[in-house]
Amino acid sequence: MSRMLKKYTVIYKSVLIENLQYMFNIAMGFISYFIMCFVFIKLWNYIYADPGDLIAGYTKEQMIWYVMITEMVWFGARSSTITRQVSSDIRGGNIAYLMNKPYHYTLYILAKYTGEWSIQLPMYALLATVMGVTMIGSLPGFRPVTLLASVPCVILGVTVNAVFKLCISLLSFWIEDSAPFQWIYDKLILVMGTLFPIEIFPGALQFLFKLTPIYTVCYGPAKLIVDFSAEKCAEILLTQLLYLCAGLLLMFFIYGKGVRKLYVNGG
Amino acid sequence: MLTAVKNQIRVCVFSVKYNIMREMLNKVTFLTNILFMMLNNGAFIIQWLILFRLKEEIGGYSIHQVMLLWGLSASSYGLSHILFARVFSLPEMIVNGKLDCYLVLPKNVLLSVMTSATSTSAIGDFLYGFLVICIFCFRIDRLLLFSLFTITGALIITSFSLLMGSLSFWFVRAEKFSMHMTNVMVSFATYPDGIFKGGTRFLLYLVIPVGLAIYHPVHIMTSFDVGMFFTVIGYTGLLTAAAITVFYLGLRRYSSGNLMESGRM
Amino acid sequence: MVYTQKCVYGIAVLFYISIQLKEEGGITLKVIEADNLSKTFRIKQKEKGMAGSIKSVFRPQTKEIHAVDQVSFSVEEGEMLAFIGPNGAGKSTTIKMLTGILYPDGGRAQILGIDPVKKRKQLCYQIGTVFGQKEQLWAHLTPYDNFRFFGAIYDIPDSETERRIQEFSDIFELGAFINTPVRSLSLGQRIRCEIVASLLHKPRVLFLDEPTIGLDPVVKDHIRSLIKQMNRELHTTIFLTSHDVGDIEKLCKRIMIVNAGQIVLDESMEHLKYHYLNKKIIEMKLSNHTPLPDLPGLTVLKEKNGQVRLEVDTAVMKINDALRFIDAEQAEDITISNVPLENIIMEIYRSENRVQVP
Repeated sequence: MSRMLKKYTVIYKSVLIENLQYMFNIAMGFISYFIMCFVFIKLWNYIYADPGDLIAGYTKEQMIWYVMITEMVWFGARSSTITRQVSSDIRGGNIAYLMNKPYHYTLYILAKYTGEWSIQLPMYALLATVMGVTMIGSLPGFRPVTLLASVPCVILGVTVNAVFKLCISLLSFWIEDSAPFQWIYDKLILVMGTLFPIEIFPGALQFLFKLTPIYTVCYGPAKLIVDFSAEKCAEILLTQLLYLCAGLLLMFFIYGKGVRKLYVNGG
Repeated sequence: MLTAVKNQIRVCVFSVKYNIMREMLNKVTFLTNILFMMLNNGAFIIQWLILFRLKEEIGGYSIHQVMLLWGLSASSYGLSHILFARVFSLPEMIVNGKLDCYLVLPKNVLLSVMTSATSTSAIGDFLYGFLVICIFCFRIDRLLLFSLFTITGALIITSFSLLMGSLSFWFVRAEKFSMHMTNVMVSFATYPDGIFKGGTRFLLYLVIPVGLAIYHPVHIMTSFDVGMFFTVIGYTGLLTAAAITVFYLGLRRYSSGNLMESGRM
Repeated sequence: MVYTQKCVYGIAVLFYISIQLKEEGGITLKVIEADNLSKTFRIKQKEKGMAGSIKSVFRPQTKEIHAVDQVSFSVEEGEMLAFIGPNGAGKSTTIKMLTGILYPDGGRAQILGIDPVKKRKQLCYQIGTVFGQKEQLWAHLTPYDNFRFFGAIYDIPDSETERRIQEFSDIFELGAFINTPVRSLSLGQRIRCEIVASLLHKPRVLFLDEPTIGLDPVVKDHIRSLIKQMNRELHTTIFLTSHDVGDIEKLCKRIMIVNAGQIVLDESMEHLKYHYLNKKIIEMKLSNHTPLPDLPGLTVLKEKNGQVRLEVDTAVMKINDALRFIDAEQAEDITISNVPLENIIMEIYRSENRVQVP
């Protein structure tokens, strides 16, 4: 077990070193992030006519901080490793060589991906904090201690998301192009939990959304940072663990089926 | 001269046709790409329905105008990616020295490069724009204007990307920069200009050309204005000329394949 | 007196004619001219490990490399020239400058009197390029459709394109697969199509970069004879780079070797062989074991169970003297051969490297 873990840690570390060189390129992404947040600040400034208003229980500051945090996760966890690379490995036949290595392909990809966002996400977190504090002022009622509980939620959320996206990429065993399915998944997460909190939707829909991974990926962690409560934290952590287990099972299942199909039909 | 232009156009038509033929090899993939991209864009209607529940107008736009805005952005973006998809990966080609095979052809390098690929999902974007117009705010004169502005919009997006992409001739590190600048343009293009004030408006009309690619045309389609109309046309020509000039200036600095590649770590 | 006048007159006429001939030769015969051509690249450097990575983020370091360093040469019409050198010697960079892909940092080039920097497009109509490892054909189209596309690119009228496709498909025997998508062709078939696509506009100069890479011996030979035929019939000048000695030996009459950005050898193939073939290899099977004489000019390369391999330096010792010394009576079998071209080239590469590294 410890040897297993060591293997993936080494993969993780080498990707980390490799990506340090690209810090400049990562920082380029700040442009897109900055503008995205800027647009939302303007938008909410326009919609909140009176600074004292509450929309769906959120003050203007909370609403903007919420978007900045979800977008931070969105940008910080973005990578083509779990999407395009997996698809092209499978479609291009490269998978045959990667499969025969003494590691599990999907876990190898996850370790690699973790190495990527370990640099990206903190960089974006720093930017988000600086931008938030200077452009909208500090978050009302925020206690830094709560980060100890909400940061693990963010990390779990990113991982759950990665596992689901990986599942979609693994569909490439059967279909030529899995990208369109990624778009739809992304848009669900984006529209129903990233752009605004789900409280903004009608009640019945809210309940429905809470059953989907949307709840654990973006909404949950961001909500915890903006408006922390211990019960909510426990609830989100639990759901995330459930989704992680379910996602991993699904991932191994799809991968197993795909590999079997490869053995039967050839590359 | 005229025959040269005619021959050039013929080659471009060939390129685009063959590109699309290549994409159509797998019909299922081709159709899912188009259809899912339309669905993908459609998802944003939810966003706007929610926002308009909170306020009746946003930045002076009604939901119909937002749809017009979204439609024009999608179809311009689509058209530019159908015809000139490679312009968006130009920095990567410059940095990795992949322009070689276009430089040994006796045709316009820029056009050969730009038309050498297409994007299937862009067809979805393009169709989505027209679909939105027909469903939400159909009028025959508006449709004509919409078609025209799709072309000017596509030219502006392409030129802007070309301009930003050409920076890679000078700075290797600009590779990602141009991609993000194109993203920035798209981010702005899908929100009403009324929410931006003062300095930002200046930026949107002069630095990031979204004002004349999208906002002006939306205003013109709402209430026609001759002055604005010709500003858009003139600006399109100007920006295109500037982008082409910068590309050719940069091309002189192009350093092709292998050595560069081995130099990258 | 009259006689001398006539003589002077005659000499003057001869002189005039010879000048005329020379000048004409100067205009029509030189196809490629490179004059002090130079190109320098900057490449990134990074120190090892994590610390190096972080350092290179903040202070990237670069190093200058003289890929091509003041190279001058000329090629005449109808020549078949091998332009070879070890990896990274500057071959591709030179070709790219000649074809207008790269701008030289110094010096200038002229192909058919056209400066690639100034009139790239005009030059493109006159030259053809085949890069063995890079594909210029559309993979999903048939060779026929591809040729039509290239016909359009080179402004050849449709009927003429049709005629040329027919002509080349006869020469290159494409008939069997001219309507099969390129991606389903074998490598040999594909390369033949690549070459035809580059010939459709009947270029006067053809640049071939590793045209036979990855092909089996039979196909290689076929391609070589086609290239030869083309050179003979269309009088196309051929500028070839290859790591395959067979290509060079079978095709080229002139050989130019570059190393570290400079031309280290420019000679006719015959001359090269004559020059470097002052060594002969003698292989013998001896019936009983006799000690070999230790003589100047005679080196034993290998000796095992009566199998002997010797190298004779004919500048020091004549070959028949060598045979006398080693007592050919004892030989059951004997072969005398030249040093293979491959070894000669390798030796040139190596000796140049020695000069490079102090």
